[in-house]
Amino acid sequence: MDKTPSVVGARVKRIDAEDKVAGRTLYPSDKTLPGMLWVEVVRAAHPHARIREIDVKPALEVPGVVRVLTHRDVPGENAFGIQIQDMPVLCFDRVRYLGDAVALVGAETRQAAREGARRVRVDYEVLEPITDPEAAMAPGAVALHPKGNIMHQGHFEKGDLAAGFACCAVIVENDYSVPMIDHAFLETEAGISYYDEHGRLTVDACGQYIYRDQTQIARALGLPLHQVRVMAPIVGGAFGGKDEVTVQIHLALMTFHTQRPCRMVATREESIVSHTKRHPVKMSYKTGADRQGNLLCVQARFVADTGAYASLGGPVLNVMMEHAAGPYRVPNVKVDGYAVYTNNGFSGAFRGFGCTQACVGLESQMDLMAAALRLDPLKFREQNVLHKGDLAGLGYPMTCEVGAGRTVRSAQRGALYRSRRRRAPAKPATPSLKPYLRRGVGVATQMQGLGLGIGIPDYAEVGLDLRPDGTLQLRAGTNEIGQGAYTAYLQILSGRLGVPLSRLSMVGADTALTPDSGTTTASRTIFAVGKAVELAAEKLERVLGERAERAFGWAPGPARLQGDQLAGSGGRRPLRELLGDEELSVQAVFHVPVAEREMGDGLPHRFYSFGTHVAEVEVNTLTGEIAVTAVEAHLDGGKVISRTGFEGQSEGGIAQGIGYALMEEVRLEGGRFLTTNFHTYVIPTSLDVPEDLRTVPVEVREPEGPYGAKGISETAMVGVTPAVLNAIADALGVRFFRLPVRAEDVLAALQEKKT
Amino acid sequence: MAIPIRVKVNGQVEALEVAPDESLLSMLRERLDLTGAKEGCNEGECGACVVLLDGKAVNACLVLAAEADGHEVTTIEGLGRPGALHPLQKAFLAHQAVQCGFCTPGMIMTALSLLLENPAPTEEEVRTAISGNLCRCTGYRQILDAVQAAAQEMRAGAQGRRP
Ligand code: FES
Ligand code: FES
Repeated sequence: MDKTPSVVGARVKRIDAEDKVAGRTLYPSDKTLPGMLWVEVVRAAHPHARIREIDVKPALEVPGVVRVLTHRDVPGENAFGIQIQDMPVLCFDRVRYLGDAVALVGAETRQAAREGARRVRVDYEVLEPITDPEAAMAPGAVALHPKGNIMHQGHFEKGDLAAGFACCAVIVENDYSVPMIDHAFLETEAGISYYDEHGRLTVDACGQYIYRDQTQIARALGLPLHQVRVMAPIVGGAFGGKDEVTVQIHLALMTFHTQRPCRMVATREESIVSHTKRHPVKMSYKTGADRQGNLLCVQARFVADTGAYASLGGPVLNVMMEHAAGPYRVPNVKVDGYAVYTNNGFSGAFRGFGCTQACVGLESQMDLMAAALRLDPLKFREQNVLHKGDLAGLGYPMTCEVGAGRTVRSAQRGALYRSRRRRAPAKPATPSLKPYLRRGVGVATQMQGLGLGIGIPDYAEVGLDLRPDGTLQLRAGTNEIGQGAYTAYLQILSGRLGVPLSRLSMVGADTALTPDSGTTTASRTIFAVGKAVELAAEKLERVLGERAERAFGWAPGPARLQGDQLAGSGGRRPLRELLGDEELSVQAVFHVPVAEREMGDGLPHRFYSFGTHVAEVEVNTLTGEIAVTAVEAHLDGGKVISRTGFEGQSEGGIAQGIGYALMEEVRLEGGRFLTTNFHTYVIPTSLDVPEDLRTVPVEVREPEGPYGAKGISETAMVGVTPAVLNAIADALGVRFFRLPVRAEDVLAALQEKKT
Repeated sequence: MAIPIRVKVNGQVEALEVAPDESLLSMLRERLDLTGAKEGCNEGECGACVVLLDGKAVNACLVLAAEADGHEVTTIEGLGRPGALHPLQKAFLAHQAVQCGFCTPGMIMTALSLLLENPAPTEEEVRTAISGNLCRCTGYRQILDAVQAAAQEMRAGAQGRRP
């Protein structure tokens, strides 16, 4: 049973890819239904204003407009939000950001719905937008929510910071600033709604957790859960940006009131303005180490601009604080964090979930300390990394397998790091520029909590149906958002049952058909759902054995599937003799183990993934342009289930990490978005990501995971950005503390260095 | 005011009445149910909507349906189907160049247009050709590999020998 079959860890084709390359996959934005209405949202005209009156009559006069809905038409609770329901489905007294929904227009055509939305007249009393989180925190600031503007705060202390700093040979203190980032999933928020054949109000739209969306829809509509059905099997990218409700409640509401199928597809501008973002954060780090290179102190303060509503801002801040000291052993730690309401959009889940920001600060500090101590940056990290049993930054013991040190050593052995002393680019893209090009190599090490942490129920249930012909269908409630999890589930199933992939199929994400497998977030699906799949496979063999014992008088013990036959202690019999024409279904649930001691609000995690990234850059000192020319990723995600999926996630993470370092920034002015399309919100293209991408699996098996697997989707991205920053510093001898680092920043810094 | 047009889509002549401001993308997706071309931005900045117009890659969101009158349009659905895929589609499958897959049809059509013009592109030429096609999931490398593999396969096919 423990022998790893070839399909696990192999390069297999994704089960969803054939339809995708043929253009046959129906995404939420592709779906239509006869007689459906187009729904458009009337969004706030001001980032902060009081609503005096809403006049829908002009919209109703537009030919084709069927219905206009306002807050008066929300039958249940006019509030939603994953953690705190502080966000109105349709605003009634006040708008707090430009994406706030004020009214919905349902019309026969998209054009009519848009025209209707333009005609809804909202009378506002415009208020001064609150755009500076520090000012929003100050006493006397206008409160955006009843409990004030500090949505969440956390304070942790371990050891004796003052005594620790007194022992330090080097102390480094800096402020860092990271911008707001858009997920820029290629498919904007979209979906359809209708009443299904059982009269259930059905929403088939993008999302990352159907069961929570079902709860949020039912609550807003005042319906019992069983009257709401949610599905979202295939989604055109998410990265956390579709974790919070987007179109789902609005769709359901319009279908509820009109009894007609409805459809929504957000424009790119609407998408950027309305959905959650990665928090812009201002950080202060003060860190110190002794002469021998032992990290003694980490002091961090985070002020995260959480925007207009809570969403997952609280948990994001918690994870940021949890990872403030990174994958290191640090005896003295102090962390203070604030998530503050403002009128700057609204922030929530995004790949990395708070680790992203903290890692930029801490890994810059690590390099600065190493330099001050004249230590090799990777040796310095290796000397301080956590091992199993060590106390993590906030003081709890690491009880999972810890591969941090092994990723560092893997990076040390890598070709890129060993070449770091070479100053000139080997093969400059433009040889005539050679005298102006500076080469640099940088590293970053990182850990990332897996799953939801303690205090937030984290479980995964799956269903498995065996047909009499020996084919099987797996049912899991998570979404396929691009990560390839469905394929990995079937690989695990195939491995455990010894049944070839060709006999397995998958049904995903439909509350009517699939059990609650939990969220499609937090690098958890392969770990938590994959484990449930393993358990289901074991259970199936056990149940088959029991039934064979009763039916055929076989000796007790599990029975194995062999094609359409059943094999066990009594030999082989056709499966059909046991099942007749019936299917045999089993369900299995995996409860993710949690840490022994809770520190509050989902902290800490029990399981972590680890990674060390090495990045090479080439900086043109004439133009300031930075090219990332190679990246090596040494990732400990436990046992790799799908090698191609692993590499794909890693490389996608590298691209996003480069974007965060060098180009991406959602810019706002007075709460208004300045970057509402791909022309102004620039993400990496094929010209920005190097050809030389190497992903090295560092497989430290986690016994609790399926085959020892953990997730890597976030670890794959988070370390890339600070590695690039450290590479730039290595190339130029100039360090940047604010992202993104653009050509003009480089030129300005070089100018300053000269003077 | 509806404009009558005749346009050949994936080999089949369609006679349609389109609106003056209707995009080719909207015509394909909403009238002909060809949803392979995706709407990612509707303003020519993502490449998810790329189709071939007389063999050349265009952003279907920027072309008016009326402009396609008398021309030939090829979408991803016209390229191959499961079981009978085009070499580019096969290569995308084999090289795991697909994650969420939302960029994939546009990516493949852009690559096809390149390979029709330049059957043996350099890595740099492929990079440049697809630089208008955004992908948020991959790091593009697997896509570049897929295009090169397909180019090889198509060259071999053109010379009548099996690769
Ligand atoms: S939809 Fe046409 S380029 Fe984006
Ligand atoms: S595969 Fe998701 S955008 Fe390219």
